[in-house]
Formats: sequence, structure tokens, C-alpha cells
Amino acid sequence: MFSKILIANRGEIAVRIIRACKEMGISTVAVFSEADRNAMHVSLADESYCVGAAQVKDSYLNISAILTIAVSCKVEAIHPGYGLLSENAKFSAMCEQCGIVFIGAKSEVIKKMGDKNAARITMRNAGVPVINGSEIIDDMTKAKVEAEKIGYPIMIKASAGGGGKGIRVVEKQAELANAFTIATTEAKAAFGDGSVYMEKYLTSIKHIEMQIICDNYGNIVCLGERDCSVQRNNQKMIEESPSTVVTVELRKKLIDTATKTVQTVGYTGVGTIEFLLDKRNNYYFCEMNTRLQVEHPVTEMVTGIDLVKWQIRVAAGIAIDFTQAPVKFYGHAIECRINAEDPKNKFKPCAGKITFLHIPGGPWIRFDTAIYQDYIVPPFYDSLLGKLIVYAPTREEALRKMKAALCELVIEGIDTNIDYLLEIVSSETFTNGDYSTDVLKNGGIDIV
Amino acid sequence: MIRKGIFKKPKIALEGNIKQSKTPSANIPNEMCVCCPSCNKMLFNDELNENLVVCSYCNHHFRMNSRQRLNMIADEDSFIEHNTDLKSENILDFPNYDKKLKNSQLESSENEAVITGVCKINSINSAIFVMEPYFMMGSMGTVVGEKITRIFEFASENRLPVIGFCVSGGARMQEGILSLMQMAKVSGAVKKHSDNRLLYITVLTDPTMGGVTASFAMQGDIIIAEPNALVGFAGPRVIEQTIRQKLPDGFQKAEYLLKTGFINDIVERKKLKEYLTKLLQLHNYK
Repeated sequence: MFSKILIANRGEIAVRIIRACKEMGISTVAVFSEADRNAMHVSLADESYCVGAAQVKDSYLNISAILTIAVSCKVEAIHPGYGLLSENAKFSAMCEQCGIVFIGAKSEVIKKMGDKNAARITMRNAGVPVINGSEIIDDMTKAKVEAEKIGYPIMIKASAGGGGKGIRVVEKQAELANAFTIATTEAKAAFGDGSVYMEKYLTSIKHIEMQIICDNYGNIVCLGERDCSVQRNNQKMIEESPSTVVTVELRKKLIDTATKTVQTVGYTGVGTIEFLLDKRNNYYFCEMNTRLQVEHPVTEMVTGIDLVKWQIRVAAGIAIDFTQAPVKFYGHAIECRINAEDPKNKFKPCAGKITFLHIPGGPWIRFDTAIYQDYIVPPFYDSLLGKLIVYAPTREEALRKMKAALCELVIEGIDTNIDYLLEIVSSETFTNGDYSTDVLKNGGIDIV
Repeated sequence: MIRKGIFKKPKIALEGNIKQSKTPSANIPNEMCVCCPSCNKMLFNDELNENLVVCSYCNHHFRMNSRQRLNMIADEDSFIEHNTDLKSENILDFPNYDKKLKNSQLESSENEAVITGVCKINSINSAIFVMEPYFMMGSMGTVVGEKITRIFEFASENRLPVIGFCVSGGARMQEGILSLMQMAKVSGAVKKHSDNRLLYITVLTDPTMGGVTASFAMQGDIIIAEPNALVGFAGPRVIEQTIRQKLPDGFQKAEYLLKTGFINDIVERKKLKEYLTKLLQLHNYK
């Protein structure tokens, strides 16, 4: 087992990882930006070092500073959390070159799955269902032909994509030329690679993702699904497990497909395979995240498996001590992402001092956060304040628990989306579970 | 605010009680990174090479080897090299010169301190010579002079423009007067090329000194330099020691030379190919 790990992240995920390390007897090294001097993870870690100015590019993405600290602190591994350097193939390779274990995917795998079009082709060749689409398209004439072949509406996607950049939905041919130019330009600007491909645009779909864990000895276990369909602008807001629409047979199929997917790429560690599920229970491979997900606690609650600890163990070369068969999914878990944003003002992100904080408690209520009373939320980072997770034997009880917990959660001094989340979980659409990814788009839940 | 040390450290033994035995411990390999001499930031070699060996923080232009330069300027697979097998010999029996030549060949993976040939620059045919800083600091011996002379002669015959990338410590002292003679020889070839009404552009890179500056480096119809390149005849330290006076700030730097009218422009590496293309087009090369 590693005796010292550097955590190259901030906020609630850094705290989550440090806690797991403490329980495992592993010493922790935190890194922080100048704006994060008073952050929770800085005090919680055994050692902490400043790696640069407030902007992430100068601090949390400052590879040279992070590696220098890792080497001088003699850490054996680096945990990148999610976002930031977690899917950076170059960083993964550099850690390896320096003799440090990167707790995440190997650089070749990150590269392979980061190129969305290549990942699609790999999966299609492996017999995993993918959405009907085209290869890379480099001119308008080809775009027109391919779009006709696929049938409108279509979606133009950047091959190097991520974070919703370089994506355009085209309803009819008249919109194609404009959307194609914008998607290509946006992709070129955001990723330095303007190549795009097309896919059939599916409506009324569910975003279902499968949690996978694989060790270095070929053991693969799929820890069930998460329903992440409540999204606003492609950003997840509420996640739950199990999904209300995934039947036992469908779950078995999804588990088999997810297992096949990771086998195809030779994956190790924890990862997530995202699928789109249509009304007729047809599912399609969407993408693979080669890292820990924000919403991992949902799976932890229903399986009783600590994903962060297992991620560290697997990276240290320990074999998984459970197999697929005995993994049982008990009860129901729901997670709400508490963000510092103002739903009444176009979800404008907020920063400032938390003047009062009350965190709900009681059985099976978990709040993963890095905030505390009097903490000043800096304006430089994403707006996630914490994740409220509840667990109960049934979905109905979990919903009651979530409503009660949201009402008990008090964060004063800054704007939050707590009330907005409460309205969603109280809505009929969410209660009956029959919601799709456009639930917040088409007035499904009429809130703001 | 949460103060440092507010949380107690739990006394928990390492899980499984087995420490990973790691030998050797983590270290950053030397070949992985380099420190920018201008801003002191640590740069990774991979990223630096992707960025045309220019510091992404302060725009410092690092020294670039001749093949990298060719890849940057010439269209892919368009370069045809001339006189690859011309190699220097120790004609004057200068002590240790043979050894130095061998080491330089190993260090630079080149046979001589210049590579010459023809290539396409954005589809425009051009003759090109690129000096190699990692071969005895691009010093000019008989072979360097001969190769450059031949490329000018070839360009004159085939009505091609010449683009020359200069980097040099000056004439190669191990070849004595024979190396100094190259100044006149190359200059003659440049003049004939010019008399044929053909274009010659020089790009001065850090450092361009001595006999090279005193001959073909400054004979271009258009003289461009890279930012902050040192260009001169004798080095600033030698001048200071000789005249016993402090030299002005930025003396012999490209920016100073531009201000004093010795060069025509300073062009960043990233913009160089497009800039040269435009110049060639303006002179009616297609």
C-alpha cells in the first residue's frame, strides 16, 4: 500500500480523498492555490503546499509545480480527483516517467477514450451499440450527404470534445451550414482540433451510466447504474441509483456491455461508461470517463463499497476482493448537487462569505463538502458547494428523506440552488421517475 | 476561518501494514524538463518542442536544431537535401580537431554545421540552407562554405530564391585561413545569385557572430531576425574588454539592430513560415 499520496485537486473531492487516505493510514499532501489558503483540504491534509496563483492554469493545472512537490515530498502516488488533471494523458505519462503512480487511467487509455470519434469506432467494432452516425466530416458537401443519410435531427460533435463545447443540434437542412461552421470553429478554438462528426440526435432519452472497477489482474466488476438525466445545459444536477426505468434484464445487459467495453480498452481502475437509453429500452454507448465521477457516492450508498478506497487499492496493485455475482444493490440513493448559483438570475455563479451554515444529519444522510461557516467561496472555480446524498430502502422513502434534508440544509450569505432542487424533487415528473434529459428544457418542471 | 492544525491526526496504521517498497524513489528525469533562462519557469521538453521551442510563458526563443527548423519551415516531405556526404577533415593537423568533429557529429547527428537543399514553402519552391548550432556552434569551415556556395550556384541555375537560417559562432579557427576564405567564396556566389535578379532572405537566429555576420548573414536582400537574437562580429564581452567601456543595454540584440537599421524586421518563430511565404509571393515566386 502507498504510504503517502498527493491530492492534485481542491474542494469536496480533495476532502473526500483525504478522508479515505486517513482511514487507510496513508499520509496526505495537499496542493492549493493562493485563493485557497483557507480551504478545508489544506488544513485537513498532513502537509500542504501552494502551487501558484488563483487561476487553475497557474495552480491546479501547474504540472511542473505539482510534480516538483510530489517528488520533494517523496509521495508514491498522485490522486487527481475529477476534472482538472484527471483525464490529462500527458500528466498521466509524466507521473509514470517520474516513478509516481497516477491514480487513474494510463495515458494511452485516456488518449483512446478522449478522442470521441475514435472511441465510438472502437466500441462499434467491439460490438457495443453506438448511435447511428458518421465518420469525421471535413466539408459541407459531405456533411449534407451524411446528414441526409442519418436523418434529421442530427447532432454535430467535436471529436476532441468535452464540456459541451463544439456541439450543435441541427433540426433541419437549412441550419446545417451555419451549425457546421460554428461547431468546427468552436472545436478548433477549444481543443486545437476542428474535426467533427455527426450523430443522430435522440430526444426523450435517459442518461444512464455504469460504474466499473477493474484491477490489474483482469477482474472487472460493474457496480450498477446511475440515472443522471436531470441536467441543465449538459450539467448534471440530480443523480440516483437504481434508475426507475432499468429493469433487472436491462441491468444485466448493461452490465455485460459495460464489462465488454472496459475489456476492449484494457482498462484498470474505476471508470464510468455512459449510455443513452431511449423509450424502447435501446441503449447506445455515449462515452467513457476514465476517472472517479462527481456522483460516485450514489453507487457507494447502494453497494456499500467505498469507491475511493478501492481506487487507491487497485492503483497500489491490490486485487479486488469481491466479484460480480455477490454485488447486490440495496435500497435507493439520490444525490443533489448544491451549487453556489442564482436560479432566479440565469444561474449566475456566486461567490462570497458563508455567514451561516447548517448541515442536515440523521441516519443515511451524507453531505460531501469542503465548506464551513465563515468560509469565503472564491470566484475562480466551479460552483459546486457540496453533494447531498440520501439513502433509504425504497425510492419513496429516499425522496422523503431528500426533501427533509434539503429543507434542513441552510447556507446563508451566498445564493444557492437548494430551493430549485427542492422543487425538482417535489415535482410530479421527478416523483414518478419518468423524466428524460430534457426535463428542465421543455418546461417539464416549471420552476423559473 | 479554519486554522492550521485544527484537526488532530488520527493514529491509524497503514492498511494491510505493507508499505510499498519503491526503489528508486520518485524523481524528475533530466531529459523531461528544462528551465527557461529568461523567466526561470520550468518547461517540459515535449510541450516546448510542440511550441516550436519557444517558452510559453515569456516567449523566449530557445536554440533550435536544424532539422526542427526545416520541419517548421518546409512543407511536409518536400525537402531534398544536397551534398549530404561532404565532411570536414583536419587539413591543418590542428590538435584535437578530429575528436571535436567526431563529437559534434554525435551530438548533432549531422555530418556538418549546415544542411542545404531545396524544399517547398507553402508550395513555393525555394533553395534553403540551415546552420546547425549543435555542430561546433555552427562554425564556418571549408565544408560549410562549400555547401552554401553550391546551394547558391544551384539556385542561380534553377532560378530559385534562397532562404538562409544563420546561427554561428563565426569562422572555424581549427581551419585557419581556409575558413576565413569561405567568407569571400560564399559572398561571390551570393553576388552572382543577386546579379541573376534572384531573391535571398536571411534569418538571423541566436547567435550569429563573427565571419558569418561579416559575410553572407548580412548580405540578404531582406534580413530578418528572431526576437532577442544576438547578432554581431566580436562578442559584447570582447568589445567591453577592448574599449573598456560599458556597452548600452541590449547591445547586439535583434531589437537594438532593428532600431539602428541593420536588419529589416524581427519575426516570431510561430509567424515565420507565413511571413516568408508572403515575401516570396511579393517577389513573384509561385
